[in-house]
Amino acid sequence: MRRVAVIGVGVTKFGKHDRTSPELFAEAAAEAIRDADLAPSAIQALYYGNVTGGEGERQLHMGPLAATLLGLPTIPTTRFENACATSHAAFRHAVMEIASGVSDVVLVGGGERVLNIPTDAATEYFAYCSDASYEQSVGLTFPGVFALIARAHMEKHGTTEEQMAHVAVKNHRHGVLNPKAQFRKEITIDTVLKSAYVADPLKLFDCCPFTDGGAAIVLAAEEIARKRPRAVWALASEAATDTMFMHEKRDLSRVTATERAAAAAYRRAGKTPADVDVVELHDCFTIAEIVATEGLGFFEPGSGGVAAEKGWTSLGGKIPVNPSGGLKAKGHPIGATGAAQIAEIVTQLRGEAGGRQVEGARTGLTHTLGGNTATVLVSLFGRA
Amino acid sequence: MPENVLTLKHFFEEAREGRLTGIRCGKCGELAIPPKEFCPGCQERDWTPVPLGGKGAIVSFTIIRIPPRGRAEEAPYAVAVVRLDEGVSLLGRVVDVPLEGLRTGLPVRFRALVTGEQTAVGFGPA
Repeated sequence: MRRVAVIGVGVTKFGKHDRTSPELFAEAAAEAIRDADLAPSAIQALYYGNVTGGEGERQLHMGPLAATLLGLPTIPTTRFENACATSHAAFRHAVMEIASGVSDVVLVGGGERVLNIPTDAATEYFAYCSDASYEQSVGLTFPGVFALIARAHMEKHGTTEEQMAHVAVKNHRHGVLNPKAQFRKEITIDTVLKSAYVADPLKLFDCCPFTDGGAAIVLAAEEIARKRPRAVWALASEAATDTMFMHEKRDLSRVTATERAAAAAYRRAGKTPADVDVVELHDCFTIAEIVATEGLGFFEPGSGGVAAEKGWTSLGGKIPVNPSGGLKAKGHPIGATGAAQIAEIVTQLRGEAGGRQVEGARTGLTHTLGGNTATVLVSLFGRA
Repeated sequence: MPENVLTLKHFFEEAREGRLTGIRCGKCGELAIPPKEFCPGCQERDWTPVPLGGKGAIVSFTIIRIPPRGRAEEAPYAVAVVRLDEGVSLLGRVVDVPLEGLRTGLPVRFRALVTGEQTAVGFGPA
């Protein structure tokens, strides 16, 4: 297997756009290709991520459309859909295409547009990522899925709504430092605690927003990456799956797919949680960040809430989590999120993250969760 | 026939008549809610349908206040994971229990929620 590196990254501004999702991806991809200092013709394949295009934009067959809008209409391309982990799953497969020797340079990323449709329609389409027969049929929403997890975590470990609020406050504080973030405004614990319940015990400010945006990554084989001092190595990219049924989760306070994907990634990269300097993880809801910091091995099971409260996950803390602002403040264009998290970690490891830079970061981790905790991707990155 | 209980259609046709059906693995004894081809525990394909009593207790619950499209009239409503007395769990809408009376451990009993052609899993007071 050949070593694989990220040699270019690009992310659009996150928020509301009057452009289609493949257009948003193409904008990010053009930035990534410029960042890689490559001719566009060097790209040999596109792994494209999008989730709700069929429902919200009446558009399938997105891969060729994204390639066409990019101006590379003849490269082989496939669209990935793994709920919110979509473009991180695409990334893993793009890594394998290069590692296996099939291609030398591959473009991967995604685009999503949902702010063109009403909130109740977007809520319905996102719920398609949970099971239709048992879950959609009783009106379970995504805030509802994580509310079930939150209550289980609170009852088992004593986690509080205030501890969850600390996650939101911290990620908004980080988002202020990210010019591409959807929300660049600090909030207080009170802002969160006084916001309306969406799915008890989760309130509006426990939830990430709906977001339009695109993100792209250029991957290259070792021979090409070695000549580029800003290259960042993909040390591991692992996936894990868990039952699609919420009723089959053995312990609702845990996300076992996170634990398994993380264990596999640490093993492949020869790293431990203590080696990680900076993390971008899937904070679709505040409780999701707390559970993920436990599952990734940064804190003992049940102590993620305390860690958030004590500021251990803040910039300047023990293990900075979501310096980009995370899904909570940076925004969550679901098909682009995984690639955007990778772009942030690459930017951090290059030392180019400006006001939100984690000083001296050499090893970074990305974690993306798909749907009702059934899909998780974990990747590790390092400087040469 | 195991082939029948393995389908979602059969599970919900039975549920519509008030009968909750699980499947038990003939090799390792795993109890599951269909459909499954292989037993996730032992990989055998030796399921036998077993009737479930429908009684259980709430493991976790939420109150959905921002519903998906088409459910505005229903909100706010409660959804819970219920652990049935037989040891297997099931997700369902909780009905006829005041929202402020919801708590984990609350005993509930299965009931079918029928809307036209659609059948969904519900739970009411025990």
